[in-house]
Amino acid sequence: MQIQLKWPEKLRGIRQVARDFMYGMLGMEFANHAMEMRASLESLFMLATVGEMIGVPVLPPYYSLRLLPYLVPQIKTWKRRVLREREFTDEPDYHLEGL
Amino acid sequence: MEKIDTALKTTILQHPERRYIMFGGKGGLGKTTFSAATAYWLASQGKKVLVFSVDPQASLSDIFQRDIFGKGPVKILENLWAQEIDADQHIKQYQGEIRQKILDMYGFESVPEEIEQYIQAASAEPAMEESAIFDAVVDVVVRGDYDYYIYDLVPLGHALYYLSMAKVYDEWITKITRLREEMAEYQGMVSRMKREKETEEDQILTELQDIRSRINTSARILTDREKTAFFFVLIPEEMILLDTLKAAGMFAKFNVPVSGYVVNRVVPHELLQQDIPAYLRNRIQMQDRYLAQIDRTFGSQVLARVPELERDVSGTEMIERLAGIMYGQDGS
Repeated sequence: MQIQLKWPEKLRGIRQVARDFMYGMLGMEFANHAMEMRASLESLFMLATVGEMIGVPVLPPYYSLRLLPYLVPQIKTWKRRVLREREFTDEPDYHLEGL
Repeated sequence: MEKIDTALKTTILQHPERRYIMFGGKGGLGKTTFSAATAYWLASQGKKVLVFSVDPQASLSDIFQRDIFGKGPVKILENLWAQEIDADQHIKQYQGEIRQKILDMYGFESVPEEIEQYIQAASAEPAMEESAIFDAVVDVVVRGDYDYYIYDLVPLGHALYYLSMAKVYDEWITKITRLREEMAEYQGMVSRMKREKETEEDQILTELQDIRSRINTSARILTDREKTAFFFVLIPEEMILLDTLKAAGMFAKFNVPVSGYVVNRVVPHELLQQDIPAYLRNRIQMQDRYLAQIDRTFGSQVLARVPELERDVSGTEMIERLAGIMYGQDGS
């Protein structure tokens, strides 16, 4: 059985759909980008404030020097990995296949 | 006065297991002279003593009138050695060792530029000097060649700073050790899946464990109730009294056991019987006020009052005299 909607309600529904459609076409991209920027800033902020939680503390340089010789081979690749510019869509969590 | 004066001596003699003796307090109150005098007295009792300083503006050289800065333990008298640790030199030597290790491990002709830059930058960090100093202290103390170690402490702030750092370092190393162990687990899994032999021992893990034990050793020297005697040096003046109270509170927080307080620069009361200017009379009265306050505040923990001498303490003769004042005239 079909529910009969009155015109004003129908209009409201159409408007909502149109708004969502436009948002999907134009807005979502920006919103996602903004969220991505926020997320990257947030992770930077976290690193600067509570970095110790993930093992990036206020490093005691005297002792990190002692480890340095063992880390020499990895430094180049590590720097490339951490410091390269990243697209937010590179993150596997945001891969859109199957959605 | 007489009763108080033997208290310091008694405290030290009653606890022969307290092999690390430290005088702490604000700069310029007489920590170094007390360290030297105490070292002199213990050496004269037949104990083998090392008095050492980590202060970059160390004055052991001045007080013993010998240039000992950065020269390792230097024999001053029978049973008495003195050492001033040169932090800069220690850091340079350490950097050299790191560079050499990199060259040896990878057969490089020279240290890669990027790595060299890191070594330079790390050494410019402010925490570097403290770490280097305390690491050097571990080397001195762990060897255990002496009956007594008299530690001419840098001004209080540094010691507290290091103690709080030691805590952070310890936590940090615990964390990365765990991380490293986890990495090793995964490595093991990969090896098993690839049917390789078990991987060799992780050298980084070994280093981490060694670093942790060094940090704990140096922090323990400051906080070991059994082996450490820590004396506060103060003078009868308001500012110093307030600062000492504050510092004592902070030390208590870090579990540094305080063995007692030694008051320095007390203007002799006998002077009052002479015809002295009002200036000096006022100073004596002011000191009396603060001495009473010190006694009220610290009670039986005040172990000695050391008079202001007519000249500065340097050279063995003056050290001997001060030792006589602090620990008894006959030197016994």
